[in-house]
Amino acid sequence: MGKHVVIIGAGAGGASAAAEARRGDESLSIAMIEQRSQVSVAA
Amino acid sequence: MPYYIGDVIKDEKKLVARTPEKFRETGVDVRIDSRVEEVDEKAGEVRLADGTSLPYDILVLGTGTTPLMPGIPGETLEGVFTLKKFTDALRIKAWLRDVPCRKAIIVGAGFIGMEMCEAIRNLGIETQIFHRGTLPVNRWDPEFSQIVLEEIRRHGVDFVMDTETLTVEAGKDHRLRLVTNHGGAEADMILMAVGIRPDVTLAKQMGLPLGETGAIRVNFSQRTLREGVYAVGDCCESFHRVSGRWVNIPLGDIANKQGRVAGRNIGGGNMIFPGIVGAQSFKVFDLEVAATGLDEREAAQSGFHPVSTLVWGNAIAGSMPGNTKLGLKLIADRATGKLLGAQAVGKAGAVSRINTLSCALWAGLALDDVGWLDLAYSPPFGGSWDPIHVSAQALKRKI
Repeated sequence: MGKHVVIIGAGAGGASAAAEARRGDESLSIAMIEQRSQVSVAA
Repeated sequence: MPYYIGDVIKDEKKLVARTPEKFRETGVDVRIDSRVEEVDEKAGEVRLADGTSLPYDILVLGTGTTPLMPGIPGETLEGVFTLKKFTDALRIKAWLRDVPCRKAIIVGAGFIGMEMCEAIRNLGIETQIFHRGTLPVNRWDPEFSQIVLEEIRRHGVDFVMDTETLTVEAGKDHRLRLVTNHGGAEADMILMAVGIRPDVTLAKQMGLPLGETGAIRVNFSQRTLREGVYAVGDCCESFHRVSGRWVNIPLGDIANKQGRVAGRNIGGGNMIFPGIVGAQSFKVFDLEVAATGLDEREAAQSGFHPVSTLVWGNAIAGSMPGNTKLGLKLIADRATGKLLGAQAVGKAGAVSRINTLSCALWAGLALDDVGWLDLAYSPPFGGSWDPIHVSAQALKRKI
């Protein structure tokens, strides 16, 4: 397992960061925490 | 989201760029309805509200914004809303439908207030805006804000200026009553759209340095001043390429780009976010409203000597049927002749001009260049002298 990445907030910024980090490194362990019940919503 | 509330976008699924399930398929552990209580930097752990912890080597803060409230009694009553998150949009839409709502009040006349007054009015609901200032959307020149005001009034929105909100209480004919310095007004819903600020609760708790704007300080690779901690989106600053200052402009397109940059750097790449020029647009009823760069006040604050011109031209060739008037204002620096900013209003063509001028700002063009840009001329799309050429050459003569 690679490094542990924790992303706080799954809005446009957090969700883009998660997707791009995953694209770059398959071995990363990525967790994304969102207060609300939806992620990655267009404003 | 205003377009979802106003029934223009009917399917809420279309607003969701990517579902939690899609993320999980790529091996991202998505936890929704889950709140971070604390970041324990010593232990390298994030503590969640449910008592569990997650270890981290790299942390990304994408905590967004918090809507501002006027801070008046009754503002938490049922039927008083803010619009920030998708869950707010769902609640507003359900409320408008189920109450049912015959009249709505919007407090604030920024671009959310404008988009929402159109959305609600188009649902056939009587709509009233209470604003602190005398004109809506204060980023634009008063001449343009006046046109925005006429447009919303023409569509039956009541605009009340110079308002100080005092209390919200239960209404008689409608669910709620907003009391202001002008007296009382009733409505079945009240939308508070008085602004937002970056949510930096966790960043403050961690002692991360904030910028002058109150948002998290980052560098061009989206790293904060703390090793292994990134920040992206509305909670952090961006570099403004025209002013050379770090600013906080909460817009989704900027957040997307910053997220991609942080993600690339976390995933082993090397990428920088080159900054913004402050481009922004909104639609209100039949008007396009757009701006980019700095206004005169911001320009002066950034050490420039702003000079400006406002011209009325044609959105397409003046000889063509269906032509409409286009207002374009340019701001430039007297000392260097460089373009500093632009604003546009019209039934058509405002956003396309502002996008073109955003490229000019990005490249740091002077008025001499802007006045001679080779644009895609054809009568259905513009005149042989575009308002961009006319205004840039007019402003050049003023310097």
